[in-house]
Amino acid sequence: MQTNRTAVLGIGAALSLGLALSGCGAKVASSNAGSGSGGSAAVPDTLTVGASMSLTGKLAREGALTKEGYSACQDVVNAKGGIPVAGKKVKLNIQYQDDTSQPDTAAQLVDQFNDKGVKVILSSYGSASTEAQAAVVERNGQLMLDSAGADNKIFTKGYKRTFAVLSPATEYASSIIKAIGELAKPRPKTIAFLSADDGFSKTVTTGAVAEAKKEGFTVIPPEFFPNGASDVSSSLTKIRSQHPDVIIGSVHLVEGIAIVKQAKELGVTPSGGIGETVAPPTPDFAKTLGPLAEGVLGSSQWTPQVKGQDAYFGTAQDYANLIKSKFGHAPDYHDAEASAACLAIVLAAEKAGSTDVNKLRDAVAALDTQSFFGRIKFDASGQNIYKPMSVIQIQHGASVDVWPAADAAAKLVWPGTGK
Amino acid sequence: MSSFLQATLYGLLQGGLLALIAAGFSLVWGVMNIVNLAHGSFVILGAYVAWKLQSLTGVDPFLGMFASALALFVLGYLVQRYVINLVVNAPIFVTLLLTFGLDLLLVQGMNIVFSADYRSIQTSYASANFGAGGVRLPYGRLFAFLVAVAVTLVLVAVVNRTRVGLSITATGMDRGAARLMGIRARHVYALTFGIAAALAGMAGAMVGTVGTFQPADAARYTLLSFVIAVLGGLGNMYGAMAGGLVIGLVEAWGGQYLPGTWVNALAFLVLVLVLIFRPSGLVGKAYYAARVEV
Repeated sequence: MQTNRTAVLGIGAALSLGLALSGCGAKVASSNAGSGSGGSAAVPDTLTVGASMSLTGKLAREGALTKEGYSACQDVVNAKGGIPVAGKKVKLNIQYQDDTSQPDTAAQLVDQFNDKGVKVILSSYGSASTEAQAAVVERNGQLMLDSAGADNKIFTKGYKRTFAVLSPATEYASSIIKAIGELAKPRPKTIAFLSADDGFSKTVTTGAVAEAKKEGFTVIPPEFFPNGASDVSSSLTKIRSQHPDVIIGSVHLVEGIAIVKQAKELGVTPSGGIGETVAPPTPDFAKTLGPLAEGVLGSSQWTPQVKGQDAYFGTAQDYANLIKSKFGHAPDYHDAEASAACLAIVLAAEKAGSTDVNKLRDAVAALDTQSFFGRIKFDASGQNIYKPMSVIQIQHGASVDVWPAADAAAKLVWPGTGK
Repeated sequence: MSSFLQATLYGLLQGGLLALIAAGFSLVWGVMNIVNLAHGSFVILGAYVAWKLQSLTGVDPFLGMFASALALFVLGYLVQRYVINLVVNAPIFVTLLLTFGLDLLLVQGMNIVFSADYRSIQTSYASANFGAGGVRLPYGRLFAFLVAVAVTLVLVAVVNRTRVGLSITATGMDRGAARLMGIRARHVYALTFGIAAALAGMAGAMVGTVGTFQPADAARYTLLSFVIAVLGGLGNMYGAMAGGLVIGLVEAWGGQYLPGTWVNALAFLVLVLVLIFRPSGLVGKAYYAARVEV
């Protein structure tokens, strides 16, 4: 067994080397106009913003969408000549670094940005990375706009320097339950919950179970599986014998696709349908599943039907057209929430008349504005208080807005998948 | 009872696919003492070949897997012949680092060429199922399982009965002696690596048909192959099949009767137990004792 032992040691060594290499990260151009200049200093020509991004690793897909949202914001702002700050046009310069989808690397990169004098940060993708970053931001006196870290835990720690434009995790699946309660005829009776075991998904499930009980549905206790699992057959087999009317998945893209695929393989057919967080509104979901995706419900942070507009992106529909022309795909809420986080910095800088980090922070905290993303105003914990979630359904291969009914682009098709 | 049967059958099917994923990894490790950390990226590359072929020409992935196998065979042969052979005598750390680097290159290359989008090879039948009562068998996984069994049998026949196979075994046992018998070791090594990559390519086409894939999944398949190869035992072509089936069953049963989040830990627990009671793996032979290092 000497060979095996040597190999195991070797693999350990190789993996740690890999981590070390990824920790060093990609290099970034070190041009830095310094956004952290003192309050009395003149307004610089550029506002430099640091963004640690999941460009490789398991969140690379979502990371790429987030980067699209940030770069769309930079392009739109700079195309207008920059941000008007105290009578001067300040260009926006977002610097990207790859955190390889690792929370500890994402946190280190925030430190590195701080060392280079970059005080304003746009968050990485996902709750785990954002949570790690928020602690560092607080310690360093930086400012972070959170575009994709929804776990409520981030906002219970008393941080004063992290602001999230998106709805918190507890809303993700509860909004689907509310939509079903309000619109589904015949009304389903039992709901089963399948959940990944990461912090964000668990918070989503807790919120949704509470909402389902409040709505008077019979709840089958949640089944958990490892985050990122591509095989969820055991959980599906377990709930099959209980014949739920609806299956709600607190998942990311890969588990979300697995639930729909394997439910079909195993003959698990809820009479109402399947609803999932995160996965359905992403373009890959319908593309990957084809006809199986038809009728699946999902929740979305943003849809092109959202009301409100701003001076940079216009209305939600204008934003949708912008993303389509720039990146050649229908807009995804990951794009929109990223652009909205960036927009919050831009609007705050306008209002503060300064790029000093402390003045920016106060301006963000006092922000109350309309935008293509809806109304943006933060509470004391840093969450966007006016932000509702929309519920979408895959109809004819596309994601359409079905709830709230007043803003819906189409009627809910029910039963969704259980025909 | 029906959920136990369902879990068992699904676990067996899943195990067969895992066995096919790990077969090449086990072969390369057994014959050349190379732990190929790029194996997972070969699997994913195979999936992309079958996916691309289907989206361009509409070829069914169960035919496309032969194209994946061919493409990966050529890649594997060239990599071994002109890169890994240069350091094959060096300590195992060097080949580990080399294949680790190769893995990074391949994964990043696929990220650039195919993007990090999730893909799946769509067929009309893969998700359909048949069965009675509470037990359902999906066609896609069943076909993938049959392919895995057929490939294992062919591999055994090739290794035990053909001239090429015997020269692979001979070179694996004692390279010096094999060369004295007129076997061209560098060619045989390249051939072995090529066959292993081809198996990974076929497995990739199956993975893409029954599930989803993206470049970052490579690491997971390498780790799985590692566990299955050690569990099954090296130096026996049935090793990967035994290891794969055990992991498939353990995960299915574990998922059924324990909290679903325990399955990964459970798979490793089984590995530890097997190594304690049967250090050479489930069907591995005391192969290395007979081996003479050159």
